[in-house]
Amino acid sequence: MKLSNRYNKANILTSIVVLVITGIIYYVVIHFILTEKLDRDLAVEENEINQYVNTFHKLPLPASYLDQQISYKTLSGIISEREFLNTIYFNPKERENEPGRSLITVVHLDGKTIEVTITKSRVESEDLIRIILLITLGITVVLLLSLLLINRFVLNRLWRPFYSTLNRMKAFEVTRMDTIEQEPTKIDEFNELNKSVNAMAERVRQDYKELKSFTDNASHEMMTPLAVINSKLDSLLQTESFTEQQGVLLEDIYHATGRLSRLHQSLLLLAKIENNLIPDFQNIELKEMVEAKSRQFQELLEKDRLILTEDLVPVEVKMSRYLADILLNNLLSNAVRHNVSGGYIHIKLDQQRLTISNSGNPGHLQTKIFDRFSKSVDSEGMGLGLAITKQICNLYGFRIEYREESGEHVFTVYFSD
Amino acid sequence: MKILVIEDEQALLESILAYFTGEGNICEHASDFAAAYEKISLYSYDCILLDLGLPGGEGLELLTKLKQLKKRDGVLIISARHSLDDKLMGLDLGADDYLVKPFHLSELKARVSAIIRRKNFDGDNVILFNEISVDVSAMKINVKGNQVILTKKEFDLLVYFLSNRNKVVTKNAMAEHLWGDEMDLSDDFDFIYTHVKNLRKKLLEAGAADYLRSVYGIGYKFGDI
Repeated sequence: MKLSNRYNKANILTSIVVLVITGIIYYVVIHFILTEKLDRDLAVEENEINQYVNTFHKLPLPASYLDQQISYKTLSGIISEREFLNTIYFNPKERENEPGRSLITVVHLDGKTIEVTITKSRVESEDLIRIILLITLGITVVLLLSLLLINRFVLNRLWRPFYSTLNRMKAFEVTRMDTIEQEPTKIDEFNELNKSVNAMAERVRQDYKELKSFTDNASHEMMTPLAVINSKLDSLLQTESFTEQQGVLLEDIYHATGRLSRLHQSLLLLAKIENNLIPDFQNIELKEMVEAKSRQFQELLEKDRLILTEDLVPVEVKMSRYLADILLNNLLSNAVRHNVSGGYIHIKLDQQRLTISNSGNPGHLQTKIFDRFSKSVDSEGMGLGLAITKQICNLYGFRIEYREESGEHVFTVYFSD
Repeated sequence: MKILVIEDEQALLESILAYFTGEGNICEHASDFAAAYEKISLYSYDCILLDLGLPGGEGLELLTKLKQLKKRDGVLIISARHSLDDKLMGLDLGADDYLVKPFHLSELKARVSAIIRRKNFDGDNVILFNEISVDVSAMKINVKGNQVILTKKEFDLLVYFLSNRNKVVTKNAMAEHLWGDEMDLSDDFDFIYTHVKNLRKKLLEAGAADYLRSVYGIGYKFGDI
């Protein structure tokens, strides 16, 4: 829920409750005051009648009163209490029934007890109450509407710098060196937010830069001693005074340094792909490339007596030639490496996908095969080949999938998601 | 041939010098930018091995200077930077080849030999070794007047051996030379054996002496008996 919505909700709910309560109080109080006033008028009337009776010893004529109706009734026996009550009476002037307020009282004239009912119209006071109620309601509606409008336009405008900062933060990439620009605002909180965000971005970028240059330097520095070891090994080999046993040791050292340098190159390559530092982007004729690659693998295939079958159609994809080469290399190496002697490899290429399936041992690979340094126990690789393959696919929006069915391992690269 | 090695890493420099010296090769060396610049402006070399990260300057600048001096020395860049940009820039600036550290000395030698062959024998690109003559551009091998028919891989292997004559060449280096180091090959290079065996057989059948020897199971040596 958005902050403004939440705020709106609380605001409007409170306003409605307060306004309704105010309306009710208004209504009750005004009603009370008006009834009180009517009652006082009726009491004044009663007084006048009493005075008239006392002075003239007769009842005033009902018709002599304009605003109110008076009726008399001679009582015998039960004497009712003096009381005020609301009634409906017929107003002869307006020729309709109207709500009224009555005072029933008793006058004594010549030993007779006469009940006097004085009725006054309540229409005007009812009208007044209705008008007051309408005005209150009107104000309520206007207030709510203006609150909504304020929230809608003013709040939205107020929050705009916040959202623009938010969007820039979302688009923030540590590898790109642009600053998070701010929308000019006079609001202190947003200015502070912008300042903090920029400071944070700067810090992140600085850390990233340092880390990157550290990695770069470390890898370059590592390459040099590795090159020295390699060259010294080559030189050592030329001295030619080794026993067979020393030869084996030398071979092991060769293997280890070879692996180390390959590992190192793979890690560098991974970092480069992740940072999208491989710029050469072109149309690649994949069919030709696959054919060239399978020729390159000929000796490896023969060694394990693997049979390679191909089902290729011309396909053009947009990617780096260098990375396309590595992608095919890794997939094919994998198919050769995790194969069985006398097995097969099948490469199928069409407009949507490249599929490489090969025979192998069932249940050979784990589910995390695309993770770095994940490899099967008997694998000779470093566990980076497929991670690199996956990264290359990610870079170009390809999707790579692996499945295994009863000893057949299938890697499929879909050229679109 | 006359070679200049520009490399600031002393240990690596020594190894390269030791590997290249002999067989009529003259090797000179420079360890920083100033010394290298002085040498390239004063003398001419068949091939210059250039390290890119040098104390006192950027190796690529030397390439530009070399061009300004209108020299036709062959240049092989050796760099720890495995960067396509550097490679393309180096080749654009007139370098003949680019080799990434770490490398096998035998690979370095093969590449330097190839550069020198291209520079010195324009169109007439022939390697001679005793009774064997190899025409690299025409891909023809002649032993005592007999034509030897080799596959592409066997031919590349022979040229590689001839560039590294009298040196022990590891199977690892041979595999990387023939199949490329991007291939992520397994550590088992036994499949090389087939090619070496076939090459040796064909040369012997054509009447050449048996110049190939296996060394400790690590590699092979092609050279005088």
